[in-house]
Amino acid sequence: MAATNYDVLIIGSGASGGMAAYTLTKKGIKCLMLDAGPPVDFQNNHVTKPAWQLPYRGLGNPARLPHVIQATEYDANQWVDEKQVPYTHDPNSPFNWVRVRYVGGKSLFWSRMSFRLSDYEFKAKDYDGFGDNWPISLADLAPYYDQVEPIFRVRGRKEGLKQLPDGNFIEDTTPWSPAVQKFIGEANKRNIPVTKMRSSLGRGQLASSLNLLLPDALATGNLTIIPDAVVRDITVDTNTGRVTGANFLDRHSRREMHAKAKVVVLGASCLESTRILLNSGIANSSGALGHYLHDQFYITQSVQAVMPEVRDKTAPAGYASGGGYIPRFRNLQSKEKDFLRGYAFDFSAGSTPDAKFFPLYGKALDDALDAHRGAGFSGTCMGSVLPRFENHVRINKDVTDAWGIPVLHIQARYGSNESNMAKDAINTMAELCKACGWEVLARHDQPFPPGYSIHEVGTCRMGDSPKTSVLNKWNQSWDIKNLFVVDGSSFVTAGSQNPTMTILSLSMRASEYLAEQMRKNEL
Amino acid sequence: MRRRRFIQALAAAPAAPALLAQRQAAQQAAPAPAADAVVDPAPLDFSIADEGADPVSKFFSARQFATLKRLCDLLMPAAPGSPGALEARVPEFMDFLIGDAPTQRQQLWLSGLDGLEYQSQSRFRKAFVDTDATQADTLLAPLRQAWSFEPPDDPVARLLAAAKQDVRTATFNSFERNMAAAGGKRPRGGGGLYWLAVE
Repeated sequence: MAATNYDVLIIGSGASGGMAAYTLTKKGIKCLMLDAGPPVDFQNNHVTKPAWQLPYRGLGNPARLPHVIQATEYDANQWVDEKQVPYTHDPNSPFNWVRVRYVGGKSLFWSRMSFRLSDYEFKAKDYDGFGDNWPISLADLAPYYDQVEPIFRVRGRKEGLKQLPDGNFIEDTTPWSPAVQKFIGEANKRNIPVTKMRSSLGRGQLASSLNLLLPDALATGNLTIIPDAVVRDITVDTNTGRVTGANFLDRHSRREMHAKAKVVVLGASCLESTRILLNSGIANSSGALGHYLHDQFYITQSVQAVMPEVRDKTAPAGYASGGGYIPRFRNLQSKEKDFLRGYAFDFSAGSTPDAKFFPLYGKALDDALDAHRGAGFSGTCMGSVLPRFENHVRINKDVTDAWGIPVLHIQARYGSNESNMAKDAINTMAELCKACGWEVLARHDQPFPPGYSIHEVGTCRMGDSPKTSVLNKWNQSWDIKNLFVVDGSSFVTAGSQNPTMTILSLSMRASEYLAEQMRKNEL
Repeated sequence: MRRRRFIQALAAAPAAPALLAQRQAAQQAAPAPAADAVVDPAPLDFSIADEGADPVSKFFSARQFATLKRLCDLLMPAAPGSPGALEARVPEFMDFLIGDAPTQRQQLWLSGLDGLEYQSQSRFRKAFVDTDATQADTLLAPLRQAWSFEPPDDPVARLLAAAKQDVRTATFNSFERNMAAAGGKRPRGGGGLYWLAVE
């Protein structure tokens, strides 16, 4: 049987690839989707296990996943095996590349925090002169956010903040707990806004491409999904310069195959898409491919405080519970600090501080933990990282993965802007806690290594000029008309908001444009 | 031997006959299957190696292991009805865990344990394992410092910070601790969602 002629080959099945399939197939476009990972049966691929049954008692295999700081022994199997798909970096510039290879990609496991970018990000250069603006504004993307948010069932509360645009929310009507109200009061005195978290409820256990996008795409009869297909490179017709499909290997047998289509859409995740393009040797007349890698720096438990009024179970039930979100508030009107742009926090009240924070051991430590049960307050800082040309990825031809495909070398480090921002963030949060009368047990103003947030973006950025960017404003390659890249690699500036809603919206927008171009025979 | 006595004491708890009686009653109440009926086998009851066998330690030297045992006992002592690190065989488990770890983590434990022993000999002219509670508490002074995200430079302080976390987790997640919490029965249910490897 000869292979079907597909209209579009989609590489990747996560948020971006899934949304491309969802949008294109509904318009009658025949799509073939390749994913490097296996299909996952979310219900049956996990079991409930007590920690005493785990070989490493919950501490994890110490030789596995050295870069995935957030991995536990419970979820170790969900992350990409770093020995199977390695990457390299300068020993002095670590980068934590955290990956998932299942059908559905990282959308199976994301934190679900769902925000829009604002024109403080889309037009960042206009505000502070650094870098470049996106080639689009919030007004261009807002109609797509409007459609994506109901699909993912984003819950939130409309706040009217320019730096955190409201969305098409399921209204969050939950009240603030008294402890959080106290915190908000101190924040507002300092003109620091606090909002409810904005989060995708999804359906059932998931808010994923796997259950929200791919089923609808398959139902059209226009989507074929091939799992376990590890793409090596994209093929090009040397006469026309157009892409013709992709070479891939079966994950198990390593059998080589070629998939053919009129258009190729890359949505393999930020760095995997760029790796495929670099290994293909295409779409880089600008020299920007692989460059401007950035993310958000994260500092989890950046401030750990104790609420004395909750200690020794003295507070009424429900006094300290829930959490919230502090959107960016620095450098909105003018330059006010020794760094550009700003940071956000998500915080929670009512946890029990980790044992490590108490300067005790033995029985005294157990007693202290008992006394502080539910009395903890902590915040995670999420800081904007400047997109710099020198932070980049390139192919390391000396190292290959388990399928013989050359790997990425990642060269990225944070600079003084990020470290100054982190110091201000943690000082501010600690001051707020003290103003509430809370005791600060520990504070941490050093970001984890780049990549830790799993929000890496850039390296295949959009722009207004083919001389300085890889993609035009439609996520379409400047060099190759029938090639689109729809994932986070297309970002120009990330801001401090989690990127998934923006990735989904960009993919939907690009796919609608692609469908229209195909309809008009203009691709 | 200390652990065996502990487990034997748990096994003597009155819960065991009650459980047996429940099983017998269930068996008596069940209707007899038809002769040609296909009967699924009852789920088999498995345990883990810790219940039926002893670990073999091979990474730390005898002296380092003795220091580690004393340290574990100080960090997570037993309490009535609640096994401590020694009953939970945490020293033996740490021997396995650190033996499997990358060199840098191994070095942290090796140099830290050696350093702790050296400090004990220097200050009290006795092995750490022989220190009394007050002397040991003096040597564990770094644990009374405010916690810092940056690991301490001093090898002993660095070991103590790591051991405080790891020994605690290994004790809480031990078979012995969970069995005690379950009233001397093999613990059942609970825990977290474990992702199986997908092939």
